[in-house]
Amino acid sequence: MRVLIVDDETLARSILAEHLATLPEVEIVGQAANGFEAVKLAEELNPDLMFLDIQMPKLSGFEVLELLGARAPAVIFTTAFDEFALRAFEVHAVDYLLKPVEPPRLAAAVERAAERVRNRTPAPSAEQLSAAARPPGRNLERILIRHEGRVHVLPLEKIDFIEAQDDYLCFATGGKRLRKQQTMSELETQLDPTRFVRIHRSFILNVERLARIDLYGKDSWLAILADGSKLPMSRTGHTKLKELIG
Amino acid sequence: MHPIFKHRGRLLLYLAVWVVFGLLLTVVFVFGGGAPLDWSLEFAVPVAVVLGLQSLSFWYVVQAMPPDDTPVIRMAVIWAIAGVVSLLVWIALAYAWAMWLLPEGEQFDASAISMLPLLIFAGAIGILLAVLGHYLAGAFQRSRNAERRALELQVLAREAELKSLRAQLDPHFLFNSLNSVAALIGNDTAAARQMCFLMAQFFRKSLTLARQQAIPLSEEVSLAETFLAIEKVRFGDRLQTRFDIADDVRDVAVPPLMLQPLVENAVHHGVAHMLEGGEVCVQARRREGFLELVVANPCDPDRPPSRSTGVGLANVRSRVETLCGHRASVDVDAGETAFRVSILLPAVSTQSTHP
Repeated sequence: MRVLIVDDETLARSILAEHLATLPEVEIVGQAANGFEAVKLAEELNPDLMFLDIQMPKLSGFEVLELLGARAPAVIFTTAFDEFALRAFEVHAVDYLLKPVEPPRLAAAVERAAERVRNRTPAPSAEQLSAAARPPGRNLERILIRHEGRVHVLPLEKIDFIEAQDDYLCFATGGKRLRKQQTMSELETQLDPTRFVRIHRSFILNVERLARIDLYGKDSWLAILADGSKLPMSRTGHTKLKELIG
Repeated sequence: MHPIFKHRGRLLLYLAVWVVFGLLLTVVFVFGGGAPLDWSLEFAVPVAVVLGLQSLSFWYVVQAMPPDDTPVIRMAVIWAIAGVVSLLVWIALAYAWAMWLLPEGEQFDASAISMLPLLIFAGAIGILLAVLGHYLAGAFQRSRNAERRALELQVLAREAELKSLRAQLDPHFLFNSLNSVAALIGNDTAAARQMCFLMAQFFRKSLTLARQQAIPLSEEVSLAETFLAIEKVRFGDRLQTRFDIADDVRDVAVPPLMLQPLVENAVHHGVAHMLEGGEVCVQARRREGFLELVVANPCDPDRPPSRSTGVGLANVRSRVETLCGHRASVDVDAGETAFRVSILLPAVSTQSTHP
């Protein structure tokens, strides 16, 4: 089995490599020290299994998994301590190891992963997992988008509005538009409902950007944004927005 | 409001004492003044209760003149005036009551007038006792309050200690450090051993420091250095540190575990999120009678917002306020790419606080 190790600490990578070397049929094909490197190596090397640290600079383990999407290999998360992540792992039956990793547990986890690889069990949904791992009362804070081969980390406050287009979401930010494959309803549940309102079947608005509301016809309105953009608004959307801004 | 009205039982007891005073007055009238018993009872008991009610007003005088910080002369003069006024009012009321009790068309007996000095004497004694009673009750109340406050302070201090210990035993730090030790044992036993010593040192220091009220800055610096030495083993070259501590502030009294949480935040929420790492910088110097302590670190503009920085900072704030009150300040400058906390507190040497 071809294995990729992802951890930002050199010592943490080396002890994992040391233990893995003792297991039969395991070949370490690469090691990544941060999330960006992990995404790149996972795509280049196409490993069967990835050991993924949760807390890393730039991209968390969840975000790495999210960016890899369907191309993600089997994953075993590693963490020293993260009570919310552990709860998410339990809920979604995801394999994880606690650092310092004990060799027998490692062997068992690798065994289970090999099973998953043989059965082609799909990787867990990264969005669901990271949503479950978020401490209660906290909403999504940034969006990851791969656009023209680059990874964009988009903080929510920089989003003007989000438009649904076929299977994609289009994030409008300062005149630019970034596309990401995701559904509207999935994203909507993760956003803070006091900051982002779904004003239309295919539009979510950042309330801070709203300049005024124009009546457009019977039961339809236009949201005029600070930068002059005009978005259609449905009756339910209008009601929701009115409730929020009073 | 007078505290006696808050408890019905206390008020009844107080009035009962004055009824007894009235009975004693009756005895004095009957045997000392030769007055008839029924008249004496009818006259003395209500008049005594009136004196009791009147004396309740002394509580306000006691409040206005706390015995600890009022000059004796002033107290004596004011009480003399209050006593005389009170006595005159009472005598007037007693006279009115005596007139009321007098059957229609009768005159005061000449012998009744001779009871006036007796009445004045009794009233003076009653007033004196009431004043003393008020001071006693006040002292009792104060000592009870002081006891309760001391107890509350003790509970607060214990709570703060527990909180800081919990913060010290950050599980993330502990398990990651153990992971480093486990990794080092295979290849570099000397470094593994060194790491164990550092961890032992760190936990021992935090445990002993947390129990004290104020410690010299140098001890805080040494704890922060130990912490950073451990983190350096984990983070390798990504973590750089710089200490710039002026010699004349090393013995300034600071609350324990003030610097370490700041340094911890600088690592976990700053440098740890940088791909190339960065430098945690600690500066301390004297500025116009104050100690200025600055912890600065670079940070990633895209870092996820964190709640735990807030908790750590709030703890530091409350510790600084506990020790120095409002003369200290904690300022946070959170920029896009740099984070900086500066603390200003009165530069008092530990030698002068613990002679």
